[in-house]
Amino acid sequence: MIDLDHVSKSYEKGQPAVNDITLHVNKGEFVFVVGESGSGKSTLIKLLLHELAPTSGQITVNDHVLSTLRHKDIPKYRREIGVVFQDFRLLNDRNVYENVAFAQHVVEIPGRKIKKRVPEVLQMVGLAEKYRSLPRQLSGGEQQRVAVARAIVNRPALLLADEPTGNLDPRNSLDIMNLLQKINDNGTTVLVVTHNRELVDMFHKRVITMRRGIIASDVEEGKYHEA
Amino acid sequence: MRPSSLFYNIKQGFKNIWRNRMFSMASIATMAACIFLFSIFFSILINVNYMIRTLEEEVGVSVLFDVGTTDERIKEIGAEIEKIEHVSDIAYTSPEEAWEQFSNEYFEGNEEFAESFRADNPLADSASYTVHVDEIENQDEVVAKIEAIENVRQVNQSANAVKTLTAFNTLMTYGSIAIIAILLVVAVFLISNTVSIGISVRRHEIAIMKYIGATDAFVRAPFIVEGILLGAIGAVLPLTVMYFAYDRLVGALLSRFDILSTIASSLPDTMVVFRTLVPVGLLLGVGIGLFGSIITVRKHLSV
Repeated sequence: MIDLDHVSKSYEKGQPAVNDITLHVNKGEFVFVVGESGSGKSTLIKLLLHELAPTSGQITVNDHVLSTLRHKDIPKYRREIGVVFQDFRLLNDRNVYENVAFAQHVVEIPGRKIKKRVPEVLQMVGLAEKYRSLPRQLSGGEQQRVAVARAIVNRPALLLADEPTGNLDPRNSLDIMNLLQKINDNGTTVLVVTHNRELVDMFHKRVITMRRGIIASDVEEGKYHEA
Repeated sequence: MRPSSLFYNIKQGFKNIWRNRMFSMASIATMAACIFLFSIFFSILINVNYMIRTLEEEVGVSVLFDVGTTDERIKEIGAEIEKIEHVSDIAYTSPEEAWEQFSNEYFEGNEEFAESFRADNPLADSASYTVHVDEIENQDEVVAKIEAIENVRQVNQSANAVKTLTAFNTLMTYGSIAIIAILLVVAVFLISNTVSIGISVRRHEIAIMKYIGATDAFVRAPFIVEGILLGAIGAVLPLTVMYFAYDRLVGALLSRFDILSTIASSLPDTMVVFRTLVPVGLLLGVGIGLFGSIITVRKHLSV
């Protein structure tokens, strides 16, 4: 699903944010990426989203070689990836249903399919009852569920979650992780960038630890290693 | 783009205008002022043009011949005039017709005096051609060519009124082009400003759209729709006002300035003015809106 071949990314100043990384993630895998701030985790997410281009090396995601993607093909590529952020990034003037339906409108799904699909996903994330609520009327955990629903409504092959529990209490964090596990059980590859030691240790998944732009360790069913 | 997506984007365009209503209103007001002024100038131009055309049809050049010119020669002269470029129409007036016309006008009510001249037509040498040219600008050229024909004694021009109107029309055309051009630049600037504010207000939403996989066209469409709508609304308002105010305005001008009432008969029908003004005004409004939003979207929305 994900192949990074000697990938580096340098910004104008300082040392590379990502330095000669080689990494392979199989289809259907659940992977944690951990590491301290500035270790290159966020740059990795941006590279996978094709928001940034690597300075060197090659990235392949779901059979797309990103360096060969034409500008007009980028939207099509991104439709195969769902993304969840720490700050939820919901549209505050729209209710739960509209926030999730928005992701389908944007990729030009016909209206009748949207009406069928959105309630299904809201049911899956446990927010079917709150479809008319505005984001400000929801708890942090619920808002993140809406963000997850929006990320998976278009059935992506890969789900990227950048600190999805960073703004949540332990109980809501565990709920979100369980939700991501459920999504993974349905066949979606999941890559979670996190600082949450307890959760990483609890889930016994593959753990990739990054430190100063390199992969310090990559352990199957690993635990959180402080960098 | 699918029909449902098009509908979605049109809805978003309306929402943009509403969310950003103060700037939208400023844009619409400027656009309306611009199109309103345009309508006024345009109506004046159409009216003056119409008058010129009417007068051109009426105003002809009279061609008189040397005393003793034979009928055959007059016919030859007629044929020569017909061949001259820009001559649209030529009509022969015999001495008898000339006298009848004159006596009808001059002896109206005293026909018995006219009767006394019947045997000896005082206008025996007044056979003439009345020549019309296609456009009044060409009259001098045609007159010079007719004057050069042998046996032509005199060529009478009476097109000063038309020439004055033509000069006025030219002046009005240049003046209005200059004023409208300035207003259009202002309107484009304001629409562009409104759209760019809309873009910055929705920057968060646009970023999410891009993550989700929206195409460039889909991200840009609501802003283009917004520009078109601002332009269209800005055009419809003044055109509606003009439609209802036009007849009253013309009536008020005619009754206020007596001098104008003499030309009232050669003014075009209201519908003649609006048949051209409405599509041109709407196209102008939509065009400015489209142009203003496209340049802004290209500048601020590299997706």
